[in-house]
Amino acid sequence: MRGGRIARPLGALRRRANRRRLAFAAFLAVLGPGVITGFAGNEAGGVTTYSSIGAQFGFSLLWLLFVASIGLGVIQEMCSRMGITTGQGLSDLIRERFGVRWTILAMLVLIIANGSNVVAEFAGIAASVEILGVPRIVSVPIAALGVWSLVVFFSYRFVERALFVLVLAFLAYPISVLILKPDWPVVMSGLIPSIPTSPSALVFALALVGTTITPYLLFYMQASVVDKGVTRQSAAYARVDVFLGAAIAGLFAFFIIVVTGTVLYPAGIQVTSAEDAAQALVPLAGERAGLLFAAGLCGASLLGAVVMPLSTSYAICEAFGWESGISKNFREAPVFMSLFTLMLALGATVVLIPGISLIPLIISAQIANGILLPIILVFILRLATDRHVMGDAVNGRITTVLGWGVAALAGSLSLGYLFASFFAT
Amino acid sequence: MPYLSDIQHRRVIEPNGNEVAKLSDLAVVPQGQFPAVQWAVLATPGGERVVRWTELAQEIGHLRLRGRLDTINDAPLPQEALRLSRDLMDKQVVDTHGAKVVRVNDLQLSEVDGQLRLVGADVGLRGLLRRVGAEGLAERVVGLAGQKLPRGIIPWHLVETLGAAEGNVRVTVPRTKLALLHPADIADIVEEMSVDERRAVFEELDVETAADALSEVDPEMQASIVSDLDEERAADILDEMAPDEAADLLQDLSEERREELVELMQKEEAADVEELLTYSEDSAGGIMTTDFIALPAELTAGAAIDRLRELQPDAELTYYLYVVDGEGHLDGVISLRDLVVAKPATPITEVMDRNVLKVDVTSPKEEVAALIAKYNLLALPVVDARRKLLGTVTVDDVVDIMLPRGWRKRSLRSIAR
Repeated sequence: MRGGRIARPLGALRRRANRRRLAFAAFLAVLGPGVITGFAGNEAGGVTTYSSIGAQFGFSLLWLLFVASIGLGVIQEMCSRMGITTGQGLSDLIRERFGVRWTILAMLVLIIANGSNVVAEFAGIAASVEILGVPRIVSVPIAALGVWSLVVFFSYRFVERALFVLVLAFLAYPISVLILKPDWPVVMSGLIPSIPTSPSALVFALALVGTTITPYLLFYMQASVVDKGVTRQSAAYARVDVFLGAAIAGLFAFFIIVVTGTVLYPAGIQVTSAEDAAQALVPLAGERAGLLFAAGLCGASLLGAVVMPLSTSYAICEAFGWESGISKNFREAPVFMSLFTLMLALGATVVLIPGISLIPLIISAQIANGILLPIILVFILRLATDRHVMGDAVNGRITTVLGWGVAALAGSLSLGYLFASFFAT
Repeated sequence: MPYLSDIQHRRVIEPNGNEVAKLSDLAVVPQGQFPAVQWAVLATPGGERVVRWTELAQEIGHLRLRGRLDTINDAPLPQEALRLSRDLMDKQVVDTHGAKVVRVNDLQLSEVDGQLRLVGADVGLRGLLRRVGAEGLAERVVGLAGQKLPRGIIPWHLVETLGAAEGNVRVTVPRTKLALLHPADIADIVEEMSVDERRAVFEELDVETAADALSEVDPEMQASIVSDLDEERAADILDEMAPDEAADLLQDLSEERREELVELMQKEEAADVEELLTYSEDSAGGIMTTDFIALPAELTAGAAIDRLRELQPDAELTYYLYVVDGEGHLDGVISLRDLVVAKPATPITEVMDRNVLKVDVTSPKEEVAALIAKYNLLALPVVDARRKLLGTVTVDDVVDIMLPRGWRKRSLRSIAR
């Protein structure tokens, strides 16, 4: 005999009363990966790219941001669903489904994309502290060493929380929108699609897509779903979480473009340094605009510099079956630790090349992400439409069409870019 | 010795030399130390065909059928058969010797007494290089430096496969090799697995091993494993766990799930756990276990030893034996040694130590840890305000509190794979 005869019906009664609260609790329990990823998308690359676009093109690329955000939601939903269904990370699935050769290709793509992101993060750190008058030759090595030892010797969760507080400085953008009272009909006219024809618009269109749907985010999303152990029963909540995350990411980008498009674009200020980008916050913060922007950019970049090399090393070691883990040393997990360390070292070194300008460096990293994105998207779509992998959770027809639509958009932008730059030379 | 990647995709010819198919896969029944290859899967222009491996002869560069393909009967694969390429290649398996999860880069086959057998899993760099056709080149490059490429082959009898879900058909292989490992090793391996594999392992292990292994798993993951398991099974495992560990685990579950499981647990265990759940997680009550040995004060040394013989307590419970009065108040403590050397007729109240070091159930856990460290204790009794013995905190319960932050095992996979 197990359990009490009375306890059972009583428990059932209480449960019924609790159901409503439980549904909300279940949502909170699953909430996370999508929303966190949505925020994580706003790293150095995102803020810089959106600021530059607002300053240079006003609101005219807003339609592309809208499309890219929907694309982000669609693709992230696929990754989340794959994580829930298979309980495996993206690189894991690529290896098991496509074998060694394709895995090498996918991982090379990931290394290049994420490597350029690490460079961008360090450029973000350098740019933000240069506003405060600290030269990059001082800030960058300290940041690189600091990030390395923080991850190796301290708790990652603590670091993550501390940096999230800094990133809150970017709330200045939505608040600025309230103060600026932009001309909404003009803003919304940017939602009407116009094909970018000038070479520079094409470049920034590619950077916008690359920074909104970063390959890294897709791997990160699926990994967090797997780690959280989201079950099939709560898949519906996970879906809400993903779309909420994509909406947050899109809205933040929207606010940045609206603010920079209202403040910088009419004044003809192009973003060539972090100070320029910070100008957009002057109506809100006055003299403190620089400090505010620097705090946000620095926090976001540091967060990226911590997560990016780690996430890459995990993905690669998982694909090839190499030992991984932060609590292991160089002898136990040689590839993992070397990869992690090398990415930090290389990222920092590139930024220290004498005379290199930081903002173009950050934008180039987003372009690299944009060019490589279609390759990763093809892998994701092939997996998500494969009944052997996904079982009943396989892509529906609409999702598949939307997914290939995103891949086609990303593909044509990168082909267009490569084509244009080929003819330019 | 051939590798699967060497012979896979080889041409299959008929006796007259016509190429009729390519070898696409081999299949074994995963039984015995080194399972024999029994089937060959052929990719023909008309689709996939499965034939007995004995219908084929290995020749240099190709495989020759013993008869014409259309005269050979199909040999259907039994449910338990494993297809080497589809089910094992590139998949994760457990190296039970090194107690870790590794990825199969290639499979080693060997002709033993005229039979091709699966003898090992290549998990090293060589296997990876071979798959991209660069093994020879790499060997020469490394050879120039006077080095050799290391081999990373795990003998097949030390490999445990993880259930592969393919086309929603689970290939279930009893995980007998896994069950032989130390529970702490099983826990390490389980932490590397996917949700489904994890659940499968905890469904298959015997309850006792499952309970021991679950106790060693990272707390966050414990909760997710227990949430995934069938309720009856979860309750059985919780019954087997030490009450303090079961309580800690239940604490991390949703209220609803916790109630359900406690209802399903056996009465005695459930009562212990429910009591423990009422104490704050950071107090002595929160970390103590209700498993301890309390001897009635009226016993003699001989009777006490008889009592122990009956109880057959776990080793960690016999560090200290507590003496209690009729109402369960803590009167003294005896070590097993003192009990054994005392004359059988001596009342235990004469050999016990009346100055027992104890803590109140509400004391903070740091204080408990400090006391244990200071006096080099193995366990410390926990009492309520009226000196009633409620439980004990053993040294392994406080190790985590005493270790510096960075020493604790950190599970960092959540920042992506």
